[in-house]
Amino acid sequence: MTLKKKLAVLIDLSGTIHIEDCAIKGAIEAIGRLRANPRVRMRFVTNTTKESIGRLHSRLQKIGFDIAKHEIFTSMSAARRLVENERLRPMLLLEDVALEDFEGIDTTNPNAVVIGLAPSQFYAERMNEAFRLVLDGAKLIAIHKARYFKSADGMALGPGPFVQALEFATDTKATVVGKPESAFFHMALQSLMDEESAEEISAEDAVMIGDDARDDVQGALDAGMKAILVKTGKYRDGDERKITGDPPALDSIVDAVDYIERLIDNS
Amino acid sequence: MNWLSKPVRGLLLDITGVLYNSGEGDGVAIASSIEAVKRLQASDLKIRFVSNESSNTRAKLAAKLGRLGFEIQEEQLFTPAPAAASYLRQHGLRPHLLVHPGVQDEFAEFDMTDPNCVVMGDAEREFTYQNLNTAFQLLIKLDRPQLITLGYGKYYMETDGLKLDVGAYAKALEYACDIQSLVIGKPNAEYFSAAVADMQLTIDETVMIGDDILSDIGGAQKAGLRGVQVRTGKWRPQWENHPIVTPDGIVDNLAEAVNLLLAQNAA
Repeated sequence: MTLKKKLAVLIDLSGTIHIEDCAIKGAIEAIGRLRANPRVRMRFVTNTTKESIGRLHSRLQKIGFDIAKHEIFTSMSAARRLVENERLRPMLLLEDVALEDFEGIDTTNPNAVVIGLAPSQFYAERMNEAFRLVLDGAKLIAIHKARYFKSADGMALGPGPFVQALEFATDTKATVVGKPESAFFHMALQSLMDEESAEEISAEDAVMIGDDARDDVQGALDAGMKAILVKTGKYRDGDERKITGDPPALDSIVDAVDYIERLIDNS
Repeated sequence: MNWLSKPVRGLLLDITGVLYNSGEGDGVAIASSIEAVKRLQASDLKIRFVSNESSNTRAKLAAKLGRLGFEIQEEQLFTPAPAAASYLRQHGLRPHLLVHPGVQDEFAEFDMTDPNCVVMGDAEREFTYQNLNTAFQLLIKLDRPQLITLGYGKYYMETDGLKLDVGAYAKALEYACDIQSLVIGKPNAEYFSAAVADMQLTIDETVMIGDDILSDIGGAQKAGLRGVQVRTGKWRPQWENHPIVTPDGIVDNLAEAVNLLLAQNAA
C-alpha cells in the first residue's frame, strides 16, 4: 500500500474565515472538517505588519477557531525566515507589539533593515540611521509597501512611502516579503514542512483560499499553486475576471472546503 | 575658452563647494574665493548666489557667509523659499508648511488657514510621522493635490553623518498620493531662469558656476545658460569626461573663472 500524497491548504484570515470579531458563516465547522482530514495540512496566511502572531492567535481563539499558533504564517514570519536563511542581523523598524515575532534574532551591528508599519519609528533620526545602513549595503526588507490605510482618524500613511523614501535615496529596491510575492507562498509551504516534519509537499499540491483576487489568488497561482477565490470579505463582483488562470470562485470558505474534499476523493 | 566666446554680463554662483566647504560650525571658506567675490562685487557684473539651502532665511545665510569672509547682500542670494513664496503669490495659493523653523519667516505673508497646497523643505527634525501624515491627509483631500518642494536632494553630509534630504521625503508623499511634486530649486530650469530674471538679464548673457556637474552645470545648460564647472567641492576627476554633461568650461576654482572673465571684459 502506498501512502497517499498530502495536500497543503493555505487559508487567508480576514475576509476569508472572519471579519473583525465574527466568524464567516460555517467557517469554524469547515476548518474543523479540514483538520479532521488526514490528507490535509493547513497554514493560515496573512499580511500584517503590526499584529504579532500571538495577538492574531488569541483573537482567532476568541472567535472560536481551533487553530494553533504555529499554524499562522504572516508577512512578519516571512521576514523572519528571510533574515534567518540569509543570517542577517536586522535593524527593526517595527512597533513594539510586532517585535515579539523577532525574539531571539541578533540585531547588533545590523546588516539589514526590516521595515513595517511603525509610526513611532518614522522620524528623521531613525530614518537617517536606516538610510546610512542601506547606503552601506544593508539589505532593505519591506514587510509590505501599502501606501496608506484607514485609521480611526481617517487615512494614514502606510509603510510604503517610507520604504520608497529609502529606496529613492539609496538607489536600491527593497525585497518585499508579504503576499502576493511568490516567495511568501513558498516560505509558508516550507514552514509547514519544517514544523510538521512531513514529507515534501510541492507547490502544485498546495491550494490557497482567499478573498483578495490579487494578493491571495493571483499570488498563489503565480507561485505555482492552486487557488480558490471566495466571495466574502473584500470580494467585489467581477474580481475573478482580474485573475489570469481561471481558478474557481466560490461563495465562501464552506464551499471551498467542499471543493477540496472532492478534489481529495477524486485523486 | 568656450564659455567666454559670448559677452558675459551676469553670473550665477553656487555657494557650497564654490565659496566654502561645509564642516564644523559654518564650514571653511575656499581662501581664493573670498578675494574672487570681492573683485566681482567691485566689477559691473551682476551676481546672484544660487543655492538649494532651505533651512535658513536669506538674512541668516548672508550673516553666515559674512562670518566666513564674504561680503554678500541678502538681495544677491537666490534660494528656493523666496522663489516658492513668489510662486504661491502668483497662483494665489495658501500653503501648509513642512519646513525648517529657520525658514518659516519667508512665508510670513501667507494665510495658512484652509491650505490648498503643501510646501516642503529640508525640515530636519520636523520630519516625523505625525507631520508627514498631516501633510498627507491634507493632500489627499484636495481635488488637485499640489506638493511644492524646496530642492529635491536625496541626501547630504553633515558633521555627524549623512542625512536624508527633502527629495526622499517628497518621494514618500508622492508615492502615497500618486502625484509628482513641483520642484523649486536646482536643477529645475525654471529656477535658473527666475534667478536670471531677478538680475534683469537674459539667459544669453549669463553664466552659471558650480561644483555639482548634474545639478549646477547640467541644470543650467538645460535652461540655456553656459555652465562652468569648478574643480572644488564635490568635483571628481572622472568628470573631465562626464558621460552626460559636458561643461562649457572647467576651471580650478572660482578665482580662475573670475580672472579669465575680468581679463576678457577689460580687453
